[in-house]
Amino acid sequence: MAELIGSLLVLAGAVFHLSAGLGVWRMPDAYTRMQAGTKASTLGNTLVVGGIAFLHPDWTLKILLVVYFVLMTNPISSHALARAAHRIQVPMTPQTTVDALRDAREQSRGDA
Amino acid sequence: MIRRAGIVLAVALFGFVFASLTVHHVERQSLPPLAKRYVELVPQELGAPNVITGILLTYRALDTLGEVAVLFMVAAGVGLVLGSRARRNENAPSDTPPSSRQASEIVRTGTQILVPLIAIFAAYIITNGHLSAGGGFQGGAVAASSAILLLLADPRQQFAQHFLSSTESAAGVLFVLVGIAGLLFAGGFLDNRVLPLGQFGTFFSAGAIPLLSVLLGAKVGCELSVIIDRFRA
Repeated sequence: MAELIGSLLVLAGAVFHLSAGLGVWRMPDAYTRMQAGTKASTLGNTLVVGGIAFLHPDWTLKILLVVYFVLMTNPISSHALARAAHRIQVPMTPQTTVDALRDAREQSRGDA
Repeated sequence: MIRRAGIVLAVALFGFVFASLTVHHVERQSLPPLAKRYVELVPQELGAPNVITGILLTYRALDTLGEVAVLFMVAAGVGLVLGSRARRNENAPSDTPPSSRQASEIVRTGTQILVPLIAIFAAYIITNGHLSAGGGFQGGAVAASSAILLLLADPRQQFAQHFLSSTESAAGVLFVLVGIAGLLFAGGFLDNRVLPLGQFGTFFSAGAIPLLSVLLGAKVGCELSVIIDRFRA
């Protein structure tokens, strides 16, 4: 039973990884690609490693650490990359209409 | 069109290469004689479950010492080339250049959480080198990655240069001293049997290998941190 649950979790994780790859391939600009890649691959990674925890119960503690590490690092690094891209003004796709970071920056400049 | 044809051709060639690799791959049923000898000798003679660390820190420990010396040369060379430029910048008027501004709050907070974790992980890799995958070089590299993270969070971060360089020198000297102890009290230079082998597979076992591993980890971590520190803008 645990084997079945574990395998299903790994499969679900693989599906999310596939959607991350598709997102990176299909999305129009750097920011949306980063978003697709980060969100889907964070969840995919968690599911795959969590599934392995079901297959090998004695690894659970280490796997929890791995999940924690991925949950900490993946969003932070993508955040830093996206901010760096925004700062050097990597162009956005014309379909994007809201740029909260630019608005906030202009507002703080206006206040100062 | 021609470009697309080129891409298709490249993909097909890659596919051909990998397909032929998988088709012709035959799994080895037995180890080659040399590897077999090592696999038998390391647990027996050195008392280390991890054969690779056993080889690296005893049979080939002289080579490891050479590798560390190469890394030391790299650190010295980088310091020679980039160090003088850093000193010139200090004399320049100290307006903060745009490259040295702080990272965002998320990155700084994340760094505060992650650096201790990375340090613990590095210590784990270093001290368990004789039992599982890992060892001084790998753990030292992980430790240096926390130095990169600190620099990314705040490029104006100051490292304790004197502490790093003196730790590195002390670790190097102790490494050689352990080696000489092996020459005097055991079978040869860097022989791990200067310390009791202990119970096979426990934390305090495999003679001097954990000690050498810790020294190597400290040395590599300090050296890489110094190199990274030199590369800051």
